[in-house]
Amino acid sequence: VTVPSTISASAIDVAPIRYVDRTLANGLRAILVRDPRVPSVAINVAYRVGGKDDPAGRSGFAHLFEHLMFKGTARTGPETIDRLTEDVGGFNNAFTTEDITNYYEVIPSNHLERLLWAEADRLAALVVNEENFVTERDVVIGEYDQRILAEPYGMLDELVNREAYAVHPYRRGVIGSPAELNAASLADVVAFHSTYYRPDNAVLVVAGDLDADATMGWIEAYFGAIATPPVPIPRVHAVEPEQTAERRYEYRAANAPLPASEEAYHIPDAAHPDAAALDVLETLLGGGRSSRLYTALVYQKQLASSTYASADLREQPGLFGVRVTCARGVALAQARAGLELELDRVRTQPPDEAELERVRTQIASAVVRSRQANNGVALTMVRAVTERGDPELVNGDLARYLAVTADDVLRVARTYLRPENRTVIEYLPQ
Amino acid sequence: VNAPTVPAPGPPRDATLPAPVERVLDNGLRVVAFAQRNLPLIAAQLVIRCGGAAEREDEAGLSALVAALLTQGTTTRGAMELAAAADALGARLDAASGYDASVVSVSATTPAFPAAFALLDEVARQPAFAPHEVERVRTKSISDLSLTYANPSALARLVSQRVAYAGAPYGHPVAGTVATLATLGRDRVAWFHERFYRPDDAVLVIGGDLEVDDAFALAERVLGSWRVPGPLPERPPFGEIPPPRSRVVIVDKPDSGRTALYSGRVTIERASPDYYAATVAVAVLSGYSGRLNQEIRVKRGLSYGAGAMLAVRRMPGLFLTSTLVDHARVVEATEVTAATIRSLAEAPATEDDLVTRKATVTGGFHRSIETIDGIAGTVAEHVLYDVPLAEINEYTRRVQAVDAASVCAFAARGLVPDDFVVLVGDASKFAAELGHTHADVRVIPFDTLDLGSPSLGG
Repeated sequence: VTVPSTISASAIDVAPIRYVDRTLANGLRAILVRDPRVPSVAINVAYRVGGKDDPAGRSGFAHLFEHLMFKGTARTGPETIDRLTEDVGGFNNAFTTEDITNYYEVIPSNHLERLLWAEADRLAALVVNEENFVTERDVVIGEYDQRILAEPYGMLDELVNREAYAVHPYRRGVIGSPAELNAASLADVVAFHSTYYRPDNAVLVVAGDLDADATMGWIEAYFGAIATPPVPIPRVHAVEPEQTAERRYEYRAANAPLPASEEAYHIPDAAHPDAAALDVLETLLGGGRSSRLYTALVYQKQLASSTYASADLREQPGLFGVRVTCARGVALAQARAGLELELDRVRTQPPDEAELERVRTQIASAVVRSRQANNGVALTMVRAVTERGDPELVNGDLARYLAVTADDVLRVARTYLRPENRTVIEYLPQ
Repeated sequence: VNAPTVPAPGPPRDATLPAPVERVLDNGLRVVAFAQRNLPLIAAQLVIRCGGAAEREDEAGLSALVAALLTQGTTTRGAMELAAAADALGARLDAASGYDASVVSVSATTPAFPAAFALLDEVARQPAFAPHEVERVRTKSISDLSLTYANPSALARLVSQRVAYAGAPYGHPVAGTVATLATLGRDRVAWFHERFYRPDDAVLVIGGDLEVDDAFALAERVLGSWRVPGPLPERPPFGEIPPPRSRVVIVDKPDSGRTALYSGRVTIERASPDYYAATVAVAVLSGYSGRLNQEIRVKRGLSYGAGAMLAVRRMPGLFLTSTLVDHARVVEATEVTAATIRSLAEAPATEDDLVTRKATVTGGFHRSIETIDGIAGTVAEHVLYDVPLAEINEYTRRVQAVDAASVCAFAARGLVPDDFVVLVGDASKFAAELGHTHADVRVIPFDTLDLGSPSLGG
């Protein structure tokens, strides 16, 4: 029996995610997705505040706040969320990006009401005092030392943001600067909390084994009573001017085992019509061992030990990053010359249909896999709302990827991967 | 917020997994299929019922080397071509080996699955074991060992296995040692594969977005031609497991930042009727609010964390507690660990405590079956360890049925008596003092430690 060794990505079909979407009177947006297969449920509470929203001279505040949200409230002690999750067979965590701070819990479904109460409680009654502030600031600075200073290539992401953006606050990154965190006062922190931690700046998604009416009732009861301040939420309106000439930055690091470089190209925001084609371009260049960069640079020419491509699509215009780490004994100029050949190829020739079908299949398979676990579904909904403004977009993503043509890929490569639109960071051993 | 305090939890709900159905192909391959059609995804795991426990002491690491090489090339395509074939299907293809089994797994979307399943068949039945790939994987395995040995906790776990099992099959490291890996070449790799990868000693678990009859038909079409290579070799008797013995084994490694403290003993096999009591007992010790972390971290600040685990096996598995402490506080932490393990038999858990500890077990189980791969893994575990498939849907109920008295009773038999202690750290800071309170203390300098020897060398 012979089985065809490739498939058409269009054969992959996935049922739409059905959800309830309601905005409370105080502005909190609540989205519920029911999947009762397993008695488990995921909660995501995303606040629309990230690295780009940090006050001038106070970079790292959004991330510092992620830590402070675990320190207890007027009604509860520290680690309440840990005890309410870990002690009943669940878990919780949080992360901060350039655009959002997202808190999440996965718990047995009979504990859903308790965690909705606890999330509402830490929005309404968080205790921010000098002691918590000083302790967590030290923790965050320790995290900076560990992740940015001590880890190999840890500074590279920071440098990419800082050098690629001239005016947009994305240039400050997320983790912030220890000097600015040390210069902050408790009053700054309290002001930041009241500015951004409010119901109309939050998106709450619950996915899993739930009863929609009961869940919405609990959300109304616990979140609905939290007042929305009358002042508007400050938003970032800075517009990055079009880049007209390549920028280059050389950095010598103690912890660069091998020379590396990243090229970052300006691209539009996540809601832009080119977003799907940029995701396809990312997978074409960097997705798996059959990707162009791995095949050419790591496997065939052995110029690189690793390669990476990423369409970092954000709420506001983001970056397409292409990274290469040299193979042992190879000079960075050589590796970059090999990379440039591949970028020239993608800028001048459309991919053939077989290669494009492979990429579409990889992306479509990843979309299907991301629908398996409740927490993955919840995060997908959070990102659709906060980065693209509409949860319904998740149900069109598969079709959008399948509709990307070879000419679309060529067009976005030509439009965005231009040398004058890029910043090159060379990251070299000392 | 209206309510001033956290509301009470509702009644727990149980999970119902799709019931797995079993058939045996003419070549002896057992096929277990299940249907779960919420998403267009299908997963398969081919479970070869032989792993590290089947390899000779002086060939430790052989089964892991075989598994790692399966995806590195077949008689018709090289490693890169295989990777490209999997990518083109959006498939995940993997192989790994443990003590009791070697597992080849694949998952893909529904339309891609038949071709992805053909890849599983190809890597399982026609691996090339090309000499340059054998050399590359072996070299990498050897260099990975130095990373393992640099980590005091990882090393303490390997030493614990030797202390518990000595020369019995779960004693040697499944990843091998520098000395055993150095002797392994293509011939032995091919021998192991030919001898043990056979349909009449394997189980195929297949499930997801297909009906069970279609799963059986696919299994028959692809693996039905797998020939039985002669009579099944008699499984050598499982070497005798030494009886548990209370003693302290110290690996002197002054350059470790802190001392890894492990304690435990050989306990039950997975198919034992005591499995659920044992699982709840270990949960009483484990996690942030478990007894070990409460005593060691919360009350005394001896460590950042402490926990316990149960290594589930076909033959009696290993109960182990673990923590990482300052060299200067090893003696205190050793005594606290021993007293906390003893408390399992002597101080019954309160009903409130038991409810939360059992919830950590059932909650973890439910999360693990959110994905098709997770369900396939759960089914495979039941099949591999000869646990009736019907127990999958009784898991929650059986955990809930464990009461405080049965935890105490089992702990008194199977967890508490005659625990060993393994310490990896700066022996000069604690070995002499431990000698005052423990009759049997042995110190092995790291440089003379030999994980390839049942007595650990030295």
